[in-house]
Amino acid sequence: MPKLIIDNREVEVPAGTKVIQAAERLGIMIPRFCYHEALGSLGACRMCAVSFKEGPVKGIEMSCMVEAEDGMVVSTVDPEAVAFRKWIIECLMLNHPHDCPVCDEGGHCLLQDETVSGGHGIRRYLGNKRTYVDQDLGPFVQHEMNRCIHCWRCRRFYQEFAGYRDLGAMQIGNRTYFGRFQSGRLESPFSGNLIDVCPTGVYTDKPARFKGRRWNFQRGPSVCLHCSLGCNTTGSARYREMVRQEARFNKDVNGYFICDRGRFGFDFANHPDRIRKPRLEDKEATWDQAIEASAAILKRIHRQRGADSILCLGSMRCSLEAQAALKRFCRLLEWPEPKYFIDPRVERNVRTCVTRLDERVAISMREVEEADFILSLGADPVNEAPMMALAMRQARRKDATVVVADPRPVFLPFDFFHLPMAPQDLDCFAGALVRQALGAKTPEKLQGKAKRFYESLPESYALSRPGLEKKIKDLGQKLAASQRPVIICGTDLIGENTVALALDLAHLLREIIKGARLFQVLPGPNAFGAGLMSSNNTSASILERMESGSVKALVLVEQDPFWLFPDHRRLEKALDQLEYLLVLDYLPSTSAKKAYAVLPTTTLFEGTPATFVNQEGRVQKVCPVHRGGTPLSQVSEGKHPPRIFLDHIPGGEPRAAHDVLAELHAAISGQDKTMLLKGLWEDEGPPISGSRLLPQNPSKDIYTSEPARPFSGREGMELLLVDWTFGTEELSCYSRFTGKAERAPCFQMHPGDAARLGLAQGDRIAIAVNGEEVCLELIIASSMAPGVIIAPRHRQVRWQKMKDGRNVVIDQQIRKL
Amino acid sequence: MDELILLRNYRPDRPATIDEYRRSGGYEALTEAVQKLRPKDVVNQVKDSGLRGRGGAGFPTGIKWSGVPDQAPFPRYVIPNTDEMEPGTFKDRILVNADPHLVIEGIVLAAYAISAQRGVFFIRPSYEMDAEIIERELEVARKAGYLGDHILGTDFSFDITVHRSAGRYICGEATAQINAIQGNRPHPVKGGPHMTEEGLWKRPTLVNNVETLACIPHILRHGPEWFKDLAKTKEGAGTKLYCVSGMVNRPGCYELPIGTRLGEIIDGPAGGMRGSSRFKACLPGGASTGFMTKEFYDIEMDFDPLKKAGHRLGTGAVIVFDQETCLVATTLKLIEFFVRESCGFCTPCREGLPFVRDLLKRLENGEGEERFIPLLHDMVGYMNHAYCAFAPGAAAPLKGLLEYFEEEIMEHISQKRCPFKPGAQPMEERQ
Repeated sequence: MPKLIIDNREVEVPAGTKVIQAAERLGIMIPRFCYHEALGSLGACRMCAVSFKEGPVKGIEMSCMVEAEDGMVVSTVDPEAVAFRKWIIECLMLNHPHDCPVCDEGGHCLLQDETVSGGHGIRRYLGNKRTYVDQDLGPFVQHEMNRCIHCWRCRRFYQEFAGYRDLGAMQIGNRTYFGRFQSGRLESPFSGNLIDVCPTGVYTDKPARFKGRRWNFQRGPSVCLHCSLGCNTTGSARYREMVRQEARFNKDVNGYFICDRGRFGFDFANHPDRIRKPRLEDKEATWDQAIEASAAILKRIHRQRGADSILCLGSMRCSLEAQAALKRFCRLLEWPEPKYFIDPRVERNVRTCVTRLDERVAISMREVEEADFILSLGADPVNEAPMMALAMRQARRKDATVVVADPRPVFLPFDFFHLPMAPQDLDCFAGALVRQALGAKTPEKLQGKAKRFYESLPESYALSRPGLEKKIKDLGQKLAASQRPVIICGTDLIGENTVALALDLAHLLREIIKGARLFQVLPGPNAFGAGLMSSNNTSASILERMESGSVKALVLVEQDPFWLFPDHRRLEKALDQLEYLLVLDYLPSTSAKKAYAVLPTTTLFEGTPATFVNQEGRVQKVCPVHRGGTPLSQVSEGKHPPRIFLDHIPGGEPRAAHDVLAELHAAISGQDKTMLLKGLWEDEGPPISGSRLLPQNPSKDIYTSEPARPFSGREGMELLLVDWTFGTEELSCYSRFTGKAERAPCFQMHPGDAARLGLAQGDRIAIAVNGEEVCLELIIASSMAPGVIIAPRHRQVRWQKMKDGRNVVIDQQIRKL
Repeated sequence: MDELILLRNYRPDRPATIDEYRRSGGYEALTEAVQKLRPKDVVNQVKDSGLRGRGGAGFPTGIKWSGVPDQAPFPRYVIPNTDEMEPGTFKDRILVNADPHLVIEGIVLAAYAISAQRGVFFIRPSYEMDAEIIERELEVARKAGYLGDHILGTDFSFDITVHRSAGRYICGEATAQINAIQGNRPHPVKGGPHMTEEGLWKRPTLVNNVETLACIPHILRHGPEWFKDLAKTKEGAGTKLYCVSGMVNRPGCYELPIGTRLGEIIDGPAGGMRGSSRFKACLPGGASTGFMTKEFYDIEMDFDPLKKAGHRLGTGAVIVFDQETCLVATTLKLIEFFVRESCGFCTPCREGLPFVRDLLKRLENGEGEERFIPLLHDMVGYMNHAYCAFAPGAAAPLKGLLEYFEEEIMEHISQKRCPFKPGAQPMEERQ
């Protein structure tokens, strides 16, 4: 560990640390533009010049380019270095338009800070300024090239870190231009990070444009609810309106970046149709009226029909507090245990993940970046959990082998082995791959259950595709040679057994390769919490119980079955059997429209702190950004805000779901309002933010998955409903901003299948399912598995005409329009 | 005049053919090397010869070659650098035109020395004619068995592709050149492993100027001692192609022993100053070297003597200015070139050079102020802290201007006009 002296203070740093980082450890922020911890050193801006007094390097050098070494004596305040840095700032400001008053970056601009702190004040350059033509980069990012100081951060993030090519540098010298070849929407779903990495206002947040300065905003540390990864964000609100979301650094979860769905999806909180007042039978009511009326009806149903006739349903987007409160609510009232999933298949998958994952195999997203072999089973990272793709890319940049087994035409921003296969084939493939890898190592070391499990794995993955067997053999060898392999497992397309198998395979690999880990992707932001809260009892599905008429009252807590459940007709029929539907939600959902009573709840940005658990079991506490209420822009309809003084915040009536449950409980039971929440966490106390809710040791259930045999003979094509980055995720679909980034929905089909059916790219086709037709354009994708049709659960499509469960389509059900 | 080595087969009308080259002893060195010498012997002979890179930096060639580790992976590459974008420099073109097979033999010998498999002949696009000559002669060499699979029946195989540059000055810098060949932006790369360990496609790579490579066959044929003796200075080695341009009677490319005195070059082969011109200053090695005044007229034109005097030999392109030339205007013109050619990567070069250009333009237009002078002085110093050698090179003429011709700058300021432009009026009178 080299020891060096910076500004008369000694610091010891790990070998390979750059001097600029060593200075940071002492709290000395050497000015910088091009250096960024995630993007590394470049040496282009020359802003971090310091003077090396003693040691192997002498004179003025860039602190981001020099590695700390023993005996170095560094001065950051040396007059020569200061003068040089001042001149660099002067140079960078030669052509800068000085348009800070109209620039959105103003107030949190690195260039502003360093111009002022660097002491450059008097302009000595007398020439004209250079100007550029700006581009339209789509709905998220505003481009203003004149402000550019050419730090190369945008290009390095976009091309090197994220792996997309449509934004880069053009021209040379002082005409160097950062942008696209021509105007157009940025292709990367990570484009919003340009806004964060740009040290000045070249890339600014388009939706938040002209909404305010940093100091005008109420800000709070938040997390992203648009997938299960739980990336950290900072939310900004002004005039009761959420205006902006930025990435917040978390060394374990997301690092410095977030995806565009996370950055621009927050607008669901501003939805103009949000329910702001309690409603009873479609009429606004006061809280007391609504709570009393709801309590009375629920009490009556309980009395008349028995406790079993009442069903409470939480969701994967509820906070952990709401989920726990709901559970305790049901227990105290002696109602049946609440459910958190409408779809029993999703419930089984999530429960398998949650109950069997343990600290020994769990891995954080940042740790995935260190993997040297990644096997992804049934996951489509860019579409399901976008930041996952960036983590995988970082591993690939360090030369990891990435294997993706999935029926979809998976795109990842790097080169990888894609083995398209139907979901039923995944078990056999994964088993065979791991068996081959361990067979090349020391399988004789395995004992007991592990040995039996190993021996039960299929020896080969016999699909009659030439070359595939050999490819798997090669990949098996690479897996065998790896030190830190990671299995990534989706939960959307695949069955319970595959989820369990992925876990078991990770455990099995770990017996021989110590660094083997598992990374699961869950179907919702707090699916982990929902899985923890769910009881073991998974008898009849909720829908069957409703259809049978045994459920008379349904309480939906931040849950909209109409969003996720594939068969609307069945769902509506089931709801028609109810006597009473109570909805607690912040979204203007279809369920809320059908409800007898609606009790409005707050989003995570408003009012009360909340806790969410991401897919690796990490507890993350969220602080509210503002106090809630209808955005001023909506109250005033764009005019001057009303000049009336009120004793309350307009539209500020929604309450946190767990608080509403507490009141409801008090009204039903006649007990004190604090009763429900007082003992919420029982003796254990609330979970600690940042920790993982995982057991230390493996569950008893490991090695109980069924190793599949080669699957053969299937009839028809399976219609798979999938997620897309934009347009399928519930919360972001209520955002005005992400809507603009949606692609037109389409069916995707393998060229072989399309040829058999006589269909061509771009044909409009209708697929008859469940007695109705879904019509969409056809896209032929050669990189997907044959024998499946892929359709997005897109909000622009009425896809909820399918059956729940597997939808098998035979050729006669497909018609060209 | 001294014996010609590199330009022995020079003819004014056409390049020498392979037969003409062979008659002069061509390909003897290659034949002997591949059949009798080990690659290490070739490296050692080049090391012993004291040959230094002719591209401008003057790095000892043999030491560069021995930087390729024995255990280094394959394939390895040789990149003959014919980018030749340095203003005033045209020696590589003359060489390729005079004796293409000398260049080819040099490349193949370099390849043999580091066991390379592939050569990429990097040539600037404006040398299209020369690229075609090389392509044609490469085919001839292939047919004759000097290139391609199993050269001269041995196990050594090596072939060369001609790669036309997209045409930017910075592509002549070795690391930038590798980026350019790989299809990246031609930014220089600093830090990290040396090119001889990780160069093109992360494989060991030699980037050598073609003039350097053309010396190799002669070194092997006549021995390192003979090569050393060619020089006029003790520490120097070989001959040098000096390109003389400017106010001389016979501008051109002259092969002379390295270390020939500046005055001997100008008054000798270049035929002295033209007409009534008097020598005022010259750039000794292209646009990225500083002005040398009459006091350096007797300096030995070799790497070390010039370095000792605070100058650089560069490419040996002597650009001569007479007493009628305004050096402010000249420096401005040179800076214009560098502003245009900067790759735009780092701040001092991208923004600092246009700043310098603006100040010089104002001086030349008679809008100069005295405060510009310390500012320019500072900026010359700051350019040394740029990322690569481009900015310090660009600042070299400016540095010379400030050092030797401050009086001339002051005249521009005090007269409020360029004193060399007949009829140029002071600034106020023009308005």
